[in-house]
Amino acid sequence: MRTVSKRVFSLLAAALLAAPAFAADPIKIGVYGPFSGGSSPMGLSMRNGVRLAADEINAKGGVLGRKIELVDRDDQAVNERGAQVMQDLVSNEKVSAVLGPINTGVALASYKYPMEAKVPLLINVSAGAPVNELFKDYPDNYVFRLAAGDPIQAEMIVSEGVDKRKFKKVAVLCDDTNYGQNGRQKMEDALAARKVTPVYIGKFKIKDTDMTPQLQEARKAGAEAILTYGIGPELAQLANGMQKLGWKVPMIGSWTLSMSNFIDAAGPNGDGATMPQTFIQAGASTAKAKQFIADYQKKFTVERIPSAVAAAQGYDSMYVLAQAIEQAGGTEGPKIKASLEDLKKPYAGVIATWAKPFSKTDHEAIHREHVVMGVVGKGEVLPPAK
Amino acid sequence: MTDLLQLILSGVALGMIYALLAFGYNITFSTSRTINFAQGEFLMLGALTGLTAAVTWKLGYAGALFAAAIVGCLLGVVLEKAAIAPALKTRSAVSWILATVALGIIARNAAERIWGTDDARFPAPLGDDPLTFLGVRVLPQELLVIGAAALIMSGVELFRRKSIWGKAVTAVAADKDAAALMGINVPLVITFSFVLSSAIAAVSGVLVAPLTLAGATMGTLLGTKAYAVAIVGGLQSGLGVLVGGLLLGLSEQFTARYVSTGYKDTPGFVLLIFILLVKPSGLFGKKSIKKV
Repeated sequence: MRTVSKRVFSLLAAALLAAPAFAADPIKIGVYGPFSGGSSPMGLSMRNGVRLAADEINAKGGVLGRKIELVDRDDQAVNERGAQVMQDLVSNEKVSAVLGPINTGVALASYKYPMEAKVPLLINVSAGAPVNELFKDYPDNYVFRLAAGDPIQAEMIVSEGVDKRKFKKVAVLCDDTNYGQNGRQKMEDALAARKVTPVYIGKFKIKDTDMTPQLQEARKAGAEAILTYGIGPELAQLANGMQKLGWKVPMIGSWTLSMSNFIDAAGPNGDGATMPQTFIQAGASTAKAKQFIADYQKKFTVERIPSAVAAAQGYDSMYVLAQAIEQAGGTEGPKIKASLEDLKKPYAGVIATWAKPFSKTDHEAIHREHVVMGVVGKGEVLPPAK
Repeated sequence: MTDLLQLILSGVALGMIYALLAFGYNITFSTSRTINFAQGEFLMLGALTGLTAAVTWKLGYAGALFAAAIVGCLLGVVLEKAAIAPALKTRSAVSWILATVALGIIARNAAERIWGTDDARFPAPLGDDPLTFLGVRVLPQELLVIGAAALIMSGVELFRRKSIWGKAVTAVAADKDAAALMGINVPLVITFSFVLSSAIAAVSGVLVAPLTLAGATMGTLLGTKAYAVAIVGGLQSGLGVLVGGLLLGLSEQFTARYVSTGYKDTPGFVLLIFILLVKPSGLFGKKSIKKV
């Protein structure tokens, strides 16, 4: 018995002594999002974008001479699961920062854990999560976002429908999740600012397959366009339902109208759907963006990125984070946060060149000028007509 | 008026889908007093197998139906041998519930591994262009679902009432011990009922997928709703599940249209609770006497 414990002790001692030899332990970065279910095109594209960036960074020697190690967790787009996953990342895995998530509800259920543990959370897809709103309750705010938030998107959707296309009667159709209902509120606000009241406000549930009642109601109310906030499969059922009823009005909605599962499941019925985009695969113009697309296609053997927006935001968020860690000179949360708020070196990303993307009072990297309206056509998202 | 007809039509199409699945519950319940809680998952496996047959192997829609039927039969045998027979042997009232639920979870996870987690478009055999009757627009697939469901249900009822095999099934349903004494191979009849019910579920998958999209999670909600339908209509009655299905399908559509889309599922489930209170055996159910 004694010899055994002695042996264990000596092994432990050897392990402890040997530890400094691995001075460069990896920097752990948590990545969470839905890697299964209806939101998975966004989750997987985001994760792949992050992975692509992390692999490139590691190939060039990592950050501070240390390798980046991604710890990815599937939150299944379930709010409670998001909270569990985040606690695991922060408390057990002890990650230095977290990238993700996709779903608004998941973000709402999970942001307080990194906030309390002083671990920066750089949201790279979720549009509905609160970011700058959090300063009120948390002056020491650890939540950042590199994605077009709902206020920007709702404003652009309404502007497209009411200002540009001059529709007077619009119907609002959103799913009943936190995401859909936040978006509905923001769109109603943007409409109210233009003194327009939607002629019909309807909602639907995730996995609903028959949208006949909602569409009939919208048609009866005389809607000239429908404004949507939902995710791919149900949005496709809306487009298909319109075809069935023989009633086709323009669909303008949040960026999720660019999801592959909308485009595929709606087929030709989805053509013309218009949505705000930070990145459009078919519209890539810079060398950096083209390189990113080529690398993504090669690494993950796909032609069309399932959600190019999520992939590009994932990629840029990883680089911005790496740059902040480099500048911080360490992986302590407060230091990374301080560098994110004052990023010295501009980083030329695939969406834009990020020069000081965040400040002490503004944690939103994406502003109106980074977003354009994309249109579905020929099975992909096309850039706006010039 | 056309608005109303349109609503009724899509309610009927939806209701027929529920009824078809609920019919599967009815078949196995009548012979073994057990039901398969993985019915929704079997529908999903049928749809995805059909998708592979139709799109990847290019066997067409008939090939898809055939492939799904085969997979359904196999699933039925596995289910009965693995989950039901042991429970019937030990007369355990709960183990079959857990076993079928577990099988459903396994099926869903397996489907996610094999076919991925995305929802795919299932090409409709008769095209996606709606037909117009009296101003009502209807997808050919909706008519196909209504027609096929009616055909399957009446076919099985006819078989139960007229053929010698069907009579064996009815005999087992009425009294297992007496049926055994009459020389009916009771375990075989029970296995057969599970094969039939699983095959119907799998074939329904191929029927509904062009309307609902095919994906690993498509069956869960349908399975739950079909269960409610079976309870409302009466687990013992074939006619009951048909009426229950139509009731739920129509109530969903009408509530969504005239009350609020948010309360869509409420009337159906309020009805479920009400029926359980006043007539636990269901609208058309016969009163079951539990022998101890």
